[in-house]
Amino acid sequence: MSVPDYMQCAEDHQTLLVVVQPVGIVPEENFFQIYKRISSVNQINVRDSQRVLYIRYRHHYPPENNEWGDFQTHRKVVGLITITDCCSAMDWPQTFEKFHLQKEIYGSTLYDSRLFVFGLQGEIAEQSRTDVAFYPSYDDCETVEKRIEDFIESLFIVLESKRLDRATDKSGDKIPLLCVPFEKKDFVGLDTDSRHYKKRCQGRMRKHVGDLCLQAGMLQDSLVHYHMAVELLRSVNDFLWLGAALEGLCSASVIYHYPGGTGGKAGARRAQGSSLPSEAGNRHRPGALTSNGINADTSAEIGRAKNCLSPEDIIDKYKEAISYYSKYKNAGVIELEACVKAVRVLAIQKRSMEASELLQGAVYINLRQLSEEEKIQRYSILSELYERIGFHRKSAFFKRIAAMQCVAPSIPEPGWRACYKLLLETLPGYSLSLDPKDFSKGTHRGWAAVQMRLLHELVYASRRMGNPALSVRHLSFLLQTMLDFLSDQEKKDVTQSLENYTSKCPGTMELITLPDGLKLPPVPFTKLPIVRSVKLLNLPVSLRPQKMKSLLGQNMSTKSPFIYSPIIAHNRGEERSKKIDFQWVQGDVCEVQLMVYNPMPFELRVENMGLLTAGVEFESLPAALSLPAESGLYPVTLVGVPQTTGQITINGYHTSVFGVFSDCLLDNLPGLKTNGCTVEVIPALPRLQISTSLPRSAHTLQPSSGDEISTNVSVQLYNGETQQLVIKLENIGTEPLEKLEVTAKTLSTKEKLYGDFLSWKLEDTLAQFPLKPGNIATFIVNIKVKLDFSCQENLLQDLDDGISVSGLPLSSPFRQIGKPRVESKPINPPESGKAGDFSHVKTLEAILNFKYSGGPGHVEGYYRDLSLGLHVEVEPSVFFTRVSTLPATSTRQCHLLLDVFNSTEHELTISARNNEDLVLHAGECQRMAIQVDKFNFESFPDSPSEGVQFANAKKLEEERQQAKGLEINSKLDICWKIISFNKCREGEASVEGVLNQLVLEHLQLAPLQWGDTAKLFYLGGDLATKARPKCCLVSLWFLLFYLVILFPYSTCPFNFFCFFCCKPP
Amino acid sequence: MAVCIAVIAKENYPLYIRSVPTENELKFHYTVHTSLDVVDEKISAMGKALVDQRELYLGLLYPTEDYKVYGYVTNSKVKFVMVVDSSNTALRDNEIRSMFRKLHNSYTDIMCNPFYNPGDCIHSRAFDNMVTSMMMQVC
Repeated sequence: MSVPDYMQCAEDHQTLLVVVQPVGIVPEENFFQIYKRISSVNQINVRDSQRVLYIRYRHHYPPENNEWGDFQTHRKVVGLITITDCCSAMDWPQTFEKFHLQKEIYGSTLYDSRLFVFGLQGEIAEQSRTDVAFYPSYDDCETVEKRIEDFIESLFIVLESKRLDRATDKSGDKIPLLCVPFEKKDFVGLDTDSRHYKKRCQGRMRKHVGDLCLQAGMLQDSLVHYHMAVELLRSVNDFLWLGAALEGLCSASVIYHYPGGTGGKAGARRAQGSSLPSEAGNRHRPGALTSNGINADTSAEIGRAKNCLSPEDIIDKYKEAISYYSKYKNAGVIELEACVKAVRVLAIQKRSMEASELLQGAVYINLRQLSEEEKIQRYSILSELYERIGFHRKSAFFKRIAAMQCVAPSIPEPGWRACYKLLLETLPGYSLSLDPKDFSKGTHRGWAAVQMRLLHELVYASRRMGNPALSVRHLSFLLQTMLDFLSDQEKKDVTQSLENYTSKCPGTMELITLPDGLKLPPVPFTKLPIVRSVKLLNLPVSLRPQKMKSLLGQNMSTKSPFIYSPIIAHNRGEERSKKIDFQWVQGDVCEVQLMVYNPMPFELRVENMGLLTAGVEFESLPAALSLPAESGLYPVTLVGVPQTTGQITINGYHTSVFGVFSDCLLDNLPGLKTNGCTVEVIPALPRLQISTSLPRSAHTLQPSSGDEISTNVSVQLYNGETQQLVIKLENIGTEPLEKLEVTAKTLSTKEKLYGDFLSWKLEDTLAQFPLKPGNIATFIVNIKVKLDFSCQENLLQDLDDGISVSGLPLSSPFRQIGKPRVESKPINPPESGKAGDFSHVKTLEAILNFKYSGGPGHVEGYYRDLSLGLHVEVEPSVFFTRVSTLPATSTRQCHLLLDVFNSTEHELTISARNNEDLVLHAGECQRMAIQVDKFNFESFPDSPSEGVQFANAKKLEEERQQAKGLEINSKLDICWKIISFNKCREGEASVEGVLNQLVLEHLQLAPLQWGDTAKLFYLGGDLATKARPKCCLVSLWFLLFYLVILFPYSTCPFNFFCFFCCKPP
Repeated sequence: MAVCIAVIAKENYPLYIRSVPTENELKFHYTVHTSLDVVDEKISAMGKALVDQRELYLGLLYPTEDYKVYGYVTNSKVKFVMVVDSSNTALRDNEIRSMFRKLHNSYTDIMCNPFYNPGDCIHSRAFDNMVTSMMMQVC
């Protein structure tokens, strides 16, 4: 006995062994088709009695095992069914001969045999024989089952007769000694008459009868016989057979206790046959019946209960039996099988510890040199048994050994396929699933070293199987899930081999389905590189769509009638955190910024990295990147163009790393920071590009109120100069530009600005609309800088004191106080001088806003905003350092005296209305006198509305003065011109800021005319009615002074006048 | 005397595993891993009853040809597994017991460290030294 049957279980002791074999050439497929049908007849109620006969079918059975049939009758082949394929009558005799030969192999033990002939028709097939059945074809053989039942009945008859024959043996008769093959030579020459020998014979026979009873469905009888056998054999120390008797006892008890069976599938089948408990009871009652079929009385039940072993005893007896078997080296197989059977029983009893001890022992049972195949079988069965007792890890361990055995170097044709299959089965034992999702939750916790080994083996096996796609999948899995546990060298090795594999078969995102139905989910490389945050970026400011605030109702869309409620505010806050408050525009490139890092110790090349989206048709523009080894966080921008409108959701990104394509979904990324992934895509809008006639400026305007400026232009102008800014508007988008609105905003400046800084005519431009894509429209803006021309204090001080006409005695005390400050300057003369010079250059800044729209986006009420920053540096041109008036010959006129200072570095001509040009050299100051008609400011409304509040009085005054200045200026028309440039530059100069109250008074047409001296004395009454008594008083004083002191002089002594004028008493 | 000492978390993943012949580390991983079956079985056999008086020492888990595997489980279901050379007959049950107790004390010290996150792998020099001393004692 050399070949163990690892599938055996205790119930097998009650079965009859029938071998089904093909004879001649029978297609395997057909054979198994018939075999399957035959084996479906595995239990049968015989002859209306309630005894059940169980049949065990084998299509292969080693004859040497058959020799142990006397030892345990279930090992004996009692029936033979041969299946043959016979096409013509010619072959028939030959076939029949073969059948006989086949019978002889098991001849000594066969009770009966059958031959099934397929394909033969004709007269031979007509004959009716009991041992041969003819069928026309494999599909046309309905009676097979019936035949088998008949066959089993015939087996039963023989069995029953044998049983009765042996059971009724008189003790006086000579009982043959049953023995196992290896014992035979030991008994040669033994005294057959000794009591010892006789007892041995009796004991063995009892045991044999017990076996037969058990097979014949008489459980009770078998128990009795076994008990007797145990007693007999124990007394003669016949250990091998004692063990067998004990095992028989155990088997019978197991059958009684566990009608569901102990061995996997067979058990299930049996349990199916006895779905009703009553049936199960019935089925086991036959043991109490006699062969005559007379119902048992209750004493039999009691007797069985007594004879039957308790569950605990079963194990004890099994252990005892095993210990007896272990005394015999040749009975190794029996011992091993007993162990297996006992373990199965223990598994049912849920006594895992004892089972594992038994198995541990079974591992060390030394059989003869096992073939590789047997080793595999042995390890597999060990694994299965461990699994059954719940030792999953141990089971996995043995299964892995079995897998390794499949490809042992000693095997000429390694079974990589089998190895791979077995390895896959070990996965649960090592708590590994091949789904990367199971590993995405937090840090991996498991037996990394062991799991990695297994994965490596899977990779290797799948490669040897010739399935590179599988190897790539497993290797990707290894890299993805075990990354934290790989050493730097291992990382390199793994990626190297991964690249090798992928060069032949790139890794995909498809589910790989194995032939046995196992599905290998795709492994996206979410850790190569690791993505830490995903941020959807807004469009650049100039392309950002704005919603027209058309209806009041739109802002009031919230259902609540309350303007503010803390609850709503809270909800809104939550919503905002998920939803992105900007929009993307169809057809425009949109960006998503990822922060990634490379965990590898070498440079990581990520190719074809793009976005995965849903909701909107999106054209992703993939990028390739190369991340340095162990890089820190590294920003990567992925771009794409939405092709349709609606809600777009960024689901993830796809990459190609080491030749493996991965689709990484953001939901599966642990520890990811995101500002929301859903954004609205609005319909396409045109795109406007601006180019100007002015040079671009590096100078950026300080952003105010969130305005960002796309382009900045700068220009340098002299104060008073006007320049044209030509703006070319080009539609570089794909939609027509239909609407354009231009607004300008002057950034708050300290400088006082006179006149319109920027002016334009939009109508000319709008005439060119709608602007087709690619077309250009021009838009002209006039820049006019007119700042204060008055001389500032600091400037005055810096100017040569000699020029200064303010050397007045009265002012000298102030100058004295001021002097030390002034004199301290020469400590750093160049800087202070420069600083003073620079301060003259003033800057003006403005933003031109172009709001434009068109195409479908316009229909939806969106527009775009493009800003052009304008930076104007205003250099001083001329200054009016002093202004004064002189009366002219006519009282209706007067001379306005202006001290003009050329602050440029060029020669400058200045002209005014009715005046000849005055040429001023750089830094020169000259006085020019302009004869002007006096103004009648009375035309201005004194106070626009009588009911105006007193608080506004001051402002009103200012306004009035401004209006006056404007009027004066328009009359003067002072212009300057610099010729020294290759292009003549010219501009206006304004006196608006220079005119002070006094000068204004002088310029005002007096309410009284000079010539009418007689009226002078009546002035008092008139003056009283005037609103400005102070001015009138001044006029009066001046008049008196003029008449009394200055009249004799023909010309006016300027200084006197000035003193008088500036410092009135 | 011990050739391999392992600390295994409640969820049956290793917190710490170290063996003396480092070149064959994987073998011990397998040994300890499979021994968890027995540990699980023993724990479930003990049942919920008598949790307080429960013996923490699990005894011999299983013998292999070359090694004996002993187990110990704390009340928080953290397991200690110790693999001992079977040729070392001098080692009695009592010594194994005391070694486990030492191991347990050292583990308790680690848990007392406020910077240690329960469930993380153990990287403690003190524990390392203690394990080394237990491995070096005889061999």
